[in-house]
Amino acid sequence: MTPLLEMRDVRGGYGDADILQDVSLNVAAGEIVAIVGPNGAGKSTAMKAIFGLLNIRGGSITIEGRDITGLKPNQIVQAGVCYVPQVDNIFREMTVHENLEMGAFLRSGDLSSAFERVYGLFPDLRERRRTLAGNLSGGQRQMVAMGRALMLDPKVLLLDEPTAGLSPRYMEQIFQICRDVRDAGVALLLVEQHAKQALAFCNRGYVLASGSNRHEGTGAELLADREVAEMFLGG
Amino acid sequence: MDFLEFVNFYIVPGLVLGSIYALGAVGITLVFAILRYAHLAHGDMATLGAFVAFAAVTLAGVPLYAALPIAMVATALVAVGIDRLFYDYLRERPRIVTVMASLGVALMVRSVVQVIWGVDAETYTRGIVRPENWWGIRLKDREIATVLTMIGLVLCLQLFLMKTKWGKAMRAMSDNPNLALLSGVDNAKVVFVTWMIVGGLCAAAGFFLGLNTELKSMMGWQMLLPMFAAAILGGVGRIEGAVIGGLVVGVVEEVSVMFLPSEYKAATAFAILLVMLIVRPTGLLRGKVL
Repeated sequence: MTPLLEMRDVRGGYGDADILQDVSLNVAAGEIVAIVGPNGAGKSTAMKAIFGLLNIRGGSITIEGRDITGLKPNQIVQAGVCYVPQVDNIFREMTVHENLEMGAFLRSGDLSSAFERVYGLFPDLRERRRTLAGNLSGGQRQMVAMGRALMLDPKVLLLDEPTAGLSPRYMEQIFQICRDVRDAGVALLLVEQHAKQALAFCNRGYVLASGSNRHEGTGAELLADREVAEMFLGG
Repeated sequence: MDFLEFVNFYIVPGLVLGSIYALGAVGITLVFAILRYAHLAHGDMATLGAFVAFAAVTLAGVPLYAALPIAMVATALVAVGIDRLFYDYLRERPRIVTVMASLGVALMVRSVVQVIWGVDAETYTRGIVRPENWWGIRLKDREIATVLTMIGLVLCLQLFLMKTKWGKAMRAMSDNPNLALLSGVDNAKVVFVTWMIVGGLCAAAGFFLGLNTELKSMMGWQMLLPMFAAAILGGVGRIEGAVIGGLVVGVVEEVSVMFLPSEYKAATAFAILLVMLIVRPTGLLRGKVL
C-alpha cells in the first residue's frame, strides 16, 4: 500500500545550513504518527519541510504518490495537507466561526457540511461560535486551530506540539480530539515534546536526533526500547 | 460667549475638519494594520485626489459631488500603481526602507500636482455659501455632506470588512499574517484591495478638505500630522478608533484657537500625538503596538 504522506531522505534548512540531514517518514491513512526527540532534533523543522516552509536540498515529499516537494503552502493545502503551527495558530480578533471560515478560504460553494463536521467534533466551539477566538481558554483555542485546519477536509493534518503549555487535563482532551479526528478519516502527524504520553497514544512513532532518523516503530515498541527510554524519556 | 456660539464657531468646524482627518486616518490605520508601515505619502495622495476632482469639475464640467467618485477611483488606481512600482519592490526589505520610500513618493506626487495645476490656491465653486440655520446651529450644505459622506464611507468599509470574503481576508492578514498565508490567502490580492480602499479614502479626504477650505498643492502634506495623530489616538488598526481619533483631533484643533494663536493649531495635533505615545501608545481602543 502506498503511504498517504511520505518523506524520503529529506535534507534542508531555513538558510544555507542543513538542519535536517536525512529524514524519512511516512503516514498511512487512519494513523496517528508522532515525531519525538530531544530539543533541537529537527522535529518541528521536519514538519515545516512538508509544508513548504523550508529550503529543501535533497530528497522528496509525496502525497498519495504525487510529488509536493517545493510547492507553496497554499498549493500544499490544496493537495490535502493542512498544518497547525505551534504558536499563533488562531486569528485572535476574529470570532470562532470566522476562524473556521478562514480555514475554508480556498474552498468555494456551500460550507455548511464542513461547519457541521467541525462543530460536531468540537461541540464546545458551536456554543462559542460568536466569541472572539482570543478570549477562549488554551484548550478551546487549540480546538479552533485544529478546526480551522479541518475545514478544507484534508487527508493529513500536521500538528506542531498541540499540547505545548497545556495542563495534563487539557493534554488528555487534545489527545482524545486527535483520536476523534482520526476516526473521522483524517490521518495525523504530530510533533510532541511530551514523548512518553505521545508514544503511548499514537499508532506509530519516529524518534529524531540531530536532524536524522534514530528509531521508528509502533508507540509501544518505542516505549519498550531501552535505548529510546534512556535517550529521551529519562530512563 | 453662549453655548450656541461655541457650537457654531468651534464644534461644527471641528467636526467637519475631524471628519476629513477621519477619512485620512482610516486609510493610515489600514496601511498600518495590513502592510505594517507608516505611509508618509498619504497626505499628498489626498492632494492628488482633490485636484483630480478639480479637473473633473473645471475641465469636464462634471457636477461637484459626481467628481468625488471619479477622484476616488482615479486615486485608488494611482495608489495601486505606486504600490506596484515602488513599495512592492521593497516588501522583503526592512519596513523603514518603505517608510522612507513613501516620503519620496510624497514629494513626487506633490511635484506632479504642482507641474499640472500650479501652486496657486483654487476652489471648486465660486461665491459665498450661506449656512442654513437649524435651531440656532448654522450648517452649510457642504459641511453636512462632509460628515455624512465620512460616516457612509466608514460604514461601507466596516460592512465590507465584516461580511465579505476579501474583507475577512484583510482582517485575517492584519490579525495573523502567517496563518492567513497558511490558510491560502493570496497576499498580493489583499494588498491590491487595501490600496484600492486606501486610495479612495485619500481622495475623499482631499476632496472634502478642498471643498471646505481651498485647493493647494501643500494641503495634503499639512494634513499628514493630524491624520497620523488621529490614527494613533484611536489605536492603530482600529477603524472606529481612527474615526473617533479624527473627530477628537479636529475638534481639539478648532477649540485650541480659543486659547492659542491660530498659527499654533497644527501644534495641537503634535501635542496629542506626543502625549498618546507617552501615556497610552496602544491608543484609546487598544490597537497594535508598533
